[in-house]
Amino acid sequence: MSKALIIAKREFLATAANKAFVVITLLGPLLILALTVLPSVVSTSGVASAGAVVAVVGGDGATRIALAAALAPAKAAVEDAADEAAARAGIASGRYAAALLLPAGWTDASTLRLLAKTGTDYALYARVEGSVAAMAREAHAAASGVDPALVKRLLSAPGIDVAVPGKEGRGPGGGLDQYLGILFTVLAFVMLMYMTVLLYGQLIGRSVIQEKSSKTVEFMLSSVSSRQLLAGKILGPGLAGLLQYAFWIGVAAAGIGLLGPVLHLQLPPTLSSGNLLALVAFFIPAYFLYSSIYAALGAGAEDEQHLTQLAWPLMICLMIPMVLLNLFLSNPNSAVSVFCSYFPLTSPIVMLIRVLVSPPAWWELAASYAILLASVWGAYVLAAKVFRIGILMTGKRRKLGEILRWAAIR
Amino acid sequence: MLEAFDVRKHYGEVRAVDGLSFAAVPGEIFGLIGPNGAGKSTTIRMAMNIISPDSGEIRINGRRLAEEDKAIVGYLPEERGLYRKAKVEDMLLYLAALKGCPAARARKGIDSWLERFGILEWKGRKIDELSKGMAQKVQFIGALVHSPRLVLFDEPFAGLDPVSQDTLLEAMLELKAGGVTILFSTHIMEHAEKVCERILLVHRGRELVSGKLAEVKARHGRNAVQIEYDGDAAFAQGLPFVESVTRYPRWLEAQLKPGSDPDELFRALAGRVKVRRFEVVAPSLHKIFTSLVGESREGADAEAAEGAIHE
Repeated sequence: MSKALIIAKREFLATAANKAFVVITLLGPLLILALTVLPSVVSTSGVASAGAVVAVVGGDGATRIALAAALAPAKAAVEDAADEAAARAGIASGRYAAALLLPAGWTDASTLRLLAKTGTDYALYARVEGSVAAMAREAHAAASGVDPALVKRLLSAPGIDVAVPGKEGRGPGGGLDQYLGILFTVLAFVMLMYMTVLLYGQLIGRSVIQEKSSKTVEFMLSSVSSRQLLAGKILGPGLAGLLQYAFWIGVAAAGIGLLGPVLHLQLPPTLSSGNLLALVAFFIPAYFLYSSIYAALGAGAEDEQHLTQLAWPLMICLMIPMVLLNLFLSNPNSAVSVFCSYFPLTSPIVMLIRVLVSPPAWWELAASYAILLASVWGAYVLAAKVFRIGILMTGKRRKLGEILRWAAIR
Repeated sequence: MLEAFDVRKHYGEVRAVDGLSFAAVPGEIFGLIGPNGAGKSTTIRMAMNIISPDSGEIRINGRRLAEEDKAIVGYLPEERGLYRKAKVEDMLLYLAALKGCPAARARKGIDSWLERFGILEWKGRKIDELSKGMAQKVQFIGALVHSPRLVLFDEPFAGLDPVSQDTLLEAMLELKAGGVTILFSTHIMEHAEKVCERILLVHRGRELVSGKLAEVKARHGRNAVQIEYDGDAAFAQGLPFVESVTRYPRWLEAQLKPGSDPDELFRALAGRVKVRRFEVVAPSLHKIFTSLVGESREGADAEAAEGAIHE
């Protein structure tokens, strides 16, 4: 076995046996599940109100029929309650999600009271409100001698259903659902990329510092070359990271496959296997790029605090996609989006966002990926030079520029 | 055999190593001696091919040093460089694997060394549970487990109790008898004096003196004599060939003038005091070093160097 692989094996085990690694690995799928399932929970046509019962106090049979029709899409039912006390008791016992109080002449009231169990099920309350408003309008029209059918006709207007060509009919509903589906998938993917790339980068930087300050590195270099040491140090945790991603995607797929039908969850179409593949395909070069640079900076740093100071440009590049997320989402083809999807330090995340939102032409994808791969190689070669010099330098807190200049030393 | 030919390494303005040449031969312990900052670490790093010299050449067994040579080199660093969370056996197997030593052979070697050092029962324990002495022994095993032909010891006795020092010394002598080339780097002159046959005294990257220890001492002998006696030896101070005397009621050390023979002193003492012990004292390496540094530099520098030695 090559020496770099021996080191990688040890670093892999050291990373994977770490408590933090195990915790993050186990919690990861929860994050994915939560973020990808959330849209169906918060969306207005969602099934959050399924089985909910809305009590009506007062009003007549027609009122209840109209209300029941309005609540049917949300799978909520309507029931009669004798009086307010009974409604309150029903809410207290959990039987009713809400109770609508309709006093005599309610159509002329300026406000009506809706007693609610939680006060947070706004999708349900909005449906009740809409239905009540429609009934009041009809009643007013009838009282004024205007044909209710005419009023209905006058007030009707078409809604908007946003559809992306090629993706029609795959979403769980209208435009908002689609937007939320994309938003939450993008959020989940961006968070995962950000967290893992940053965590692994810092992990590698710290382990280099530790080895440098404990002088283990001289012991190591008496057996291997600095290039082998660097390769092993980057490769080991990288394999642990891939293992983590494989576990996450496997568990998320299994969880959605098994729990989805039971909980009536519908997956956002953005959570496709192709997009998951893109996530992994962008994670790998992003990992190697950032880890190489972190390893080089770790070699130049005196301690962890110093490393944090040196790594600020990396932090900024990692945060750009989070800060400009709205821009990338709403306008994935703007100049800034396109630039960031080619610039290697931001392209893994920004290009991934573009792929999720509005897939770019294949040649754009290919060009961006080629630039990324070339940068990974370049960063590794330069990092190896900086690493070689820095790993033996101690006793002085150097500036970033001085450390980067080591790359030029023969 | 490890040879260096006019090796130089500069870091910017700092001449860490400035034209050193030496040869460490198999079956001999070669001492690389000098105060901190003299260029020992840089020399060792070059001898292990961790860094390459700016000019000059290092050869191992007559060939130019190459990456493959790391397999036959063993290194014992001064500081503890083991992974604190690793278990003793795993750590040693890892180090052996990096030297290309098969696991089965390494296991055997590890067991016999651990047993010899009396720490076999610590095999499954973590490094950070070990005392400093034990960790140093583990590191010592790590440097030797792949049966190297050249071993570099950097301050191997630092922080060790006398018993552990003896165990390590014994193992070193055994290696030497087995024809291993040993390079021993230290700033503690007394250690070097006890162990090394051949030395290279370095100061500021340059050679101060080198050669067989006995010859170096003979060359730089300062003609001192120590005497234990009964009687009154006050007259010794006035003898023409005596430069100075440090005298106690029953002991004195006389510094003879250059060119004079200790025999003259012996004859002068005989009959006037009762001589119980008469010893021509070879100068310590420490004395040689300070006198040489004093010759080559002016006072302030020498003091600085002395300060470094006593660190």
